[in-house]
Amino acid sequence: MNRKRVCRVEDVPANGLKEVQVDDGLKVMVASTDDAYFACQAICPHQEVPLCEGLFDGGVLTCHMHLWQWDIRTGAPIGLAETPLQMFSLSVEDGVIYLAPPDALSSSELFNGLAAKTLTRLAQLGKVETRDAGSTLYDVGDPVEDIYILQGGRVEFLLGRDERTSLAGFVLRTGEVFGWAALLDGQPARLARATCLERSTLMRINGKEVLKVLESDPGAGYLVMRRLAELVARYLPSASGAK
Amino acid sequence: MRVQLNVRNRAYQFECSEAEKILLAGLHHGVELPYECGSGTCGTCKAKLIHGELVEAWPEAPGRKVLKADQGEFLMCQCAPKGDVSIEVASFVYASSPGAWTPAYFDGTIASVERLTHDVMAFSVALERPMDFDAGQFVLMEAPGIAGLRGYSMVNFERQARRLDFVIKKKAGGGVSEWLFGGDTRGAGLRMFGPLGKATFYPNLGKNVLCIAGGSGVAGMMSILGRAAQEGYFRQYRGDLFFGVRTMRDAFFLDRLADLRGRLPDQLRFTVALSDESVPEAARAGHPQIEFEQGLVHEVAARRMEGRYQNVRAYLAGPPPAVEAAIRVLLLKAKLTTDNIRYDKFS
Repeated sequence: MNRKRVCRVEDVPANGLKEVQVDDGLKVMVASTDDAYFACQAICPHQEVPLCEGLFDGGVLTCHMHLWQWDIRTGAPIGLAETPLQMFSLSVEDGVIYLAPPDALSSSELFNGLAAKTLTRLAQLGKVETRDAGSTLYDVGDPVEDIYILQGGRVEFLLGRDERTSLAGFVLRTGEVFGWAALLDGQPARLARATCLERSTLMRINGKEVLKVLESDPGAGYLVMRRLAELVARYLPSASGAK
Repeated sequence: MRVQLNVRNRAYQFECSEAEKILLAGLHHGVELPYECGSGTCGTCKAKLIHGELVEAWPEAPGRKVLKADQGEFLMCQCAPKGDVSIEVASFVYASSPGAWTPAYFDGTIASVERLTHDVMAFSVALERPMDFDAGQFVLMEAPGIAGLRGYSMVNFERQARRLDFVIKKKAGGGVSEWLFGGDTRGAGLRMFGPLGKATFYPNLGKNVLCIAGGSGVAGMMSILGRAAQEGYFRQYRGDLFFGVRTMRDAFFLDRLADLRGRLPDQLRFTVALSDESVPEAARAGHPQIEFEQGLVHEVAARRMEGRYQNVRAYLAGPPPAVEAAIRVLLLKAKLTTDNIRYDKFS
């Protein structure tokens, strides 16, 4: 497929980090571990800090600014970090590192790090849509069917109806998941309205179908449910970021 | 003025006058907005203006380098609303927990000043009404007639404090610093906002305490060690302090530290790291309770803490390069987890 050349393997220091600009302007950071290379977004998802200035022990990446940490193999957040890293798939051929085109599913906060077979099955169920600014994805009271993964753009949530509405937050990062009530039992109707604030691209997957896939791969199911619990907890009023 | 704040998990509304910074108004109303320095240097309190107009206090604030100004980003610690505004912070923001001290404005007067070294001064502020704070916290201070707030950590610790003790380093162009070093300020009025800061110590921590401080950063460490000693914490846990200065001429609080160590000789260990000179014999002779070693404070700490990192909570303070060097040692060598490394970046 349309893979892109990143750099040569010797350009990345052993157990070290290197920022590379891929030909179309996309900046990625390549990390080398004992046995493989990994690539993630070049800039910390928290603030505008280059991750190549961070600390790396060969497994865990730490942004030096506010000590957010991630597992470099999966991009999964550790400790203080609130969001995962967007990861890119790499391949190595004749000493050259290549980047596969990014996809929202494998870098999403719920599904990253799952076995390739499971991800492929989920991807086959997913429908990718691009919606204009101002369009409503679902409204209060709509039946809950799909979960959404943001690929690009921005979606805002509004609670209540008519004049009596209040903002209930927003999503803006590639791989963020919303509409996750579709993975829960006893949630027949949407509680909020989801609107695209700008032109946005999303993948939507039927929640029941996702659960079926996860039932066939219980390890993946366990991981996704743990992450889902964490995600739901973030929206509890008493949740606290600094523990 | 009304501030409508949209964050990733919900929305908030709070009042903020045109004379008030949005960050301080939000914190005062119990919204745990992100911040570190509160004084325009770090950029942590960045937000985005959606509707309305702002008045910006310090357009050259160094923290602005993290902003995308063309997208309406601004620093909440530097901006006041001009009319109702709607803003957005792209992170999860929670309401403060009921047990936390709500920061507010406090007025006080300079009760005493004392030169500690050629360029460091101790001063105390008598408060008009008592303040509660946690050991390790700081306040933002405004000198009379000088715009701009700067953070200073409390040295003392007590409940319902009527007096706050601080140390301050002489700094050209530093508003509060120049004012205090410039002449007799005793009796002068001062405005403060606080308490702020998350590098705090509580006696239920249940861990050994490691403090690494450069220069006047030792202030907050004195509060932490002081509170821990008051509560009998060191009967059960160890306390290590590494205090970095250039030369013996720059060291202070040594008598206080020696006195504290004298009372708990087995559980406390205090080391002064001298970066710019070998340890003078007189230093050891004059302060047998304190250890001295030549080197940068994070290097000295790394050498002396080797093998002693079990169950440790670290507190760091001082010039940003010193704090970052210490973080590197604690994460990569000592393998501490990030929640056990506490610091507030201001100086």
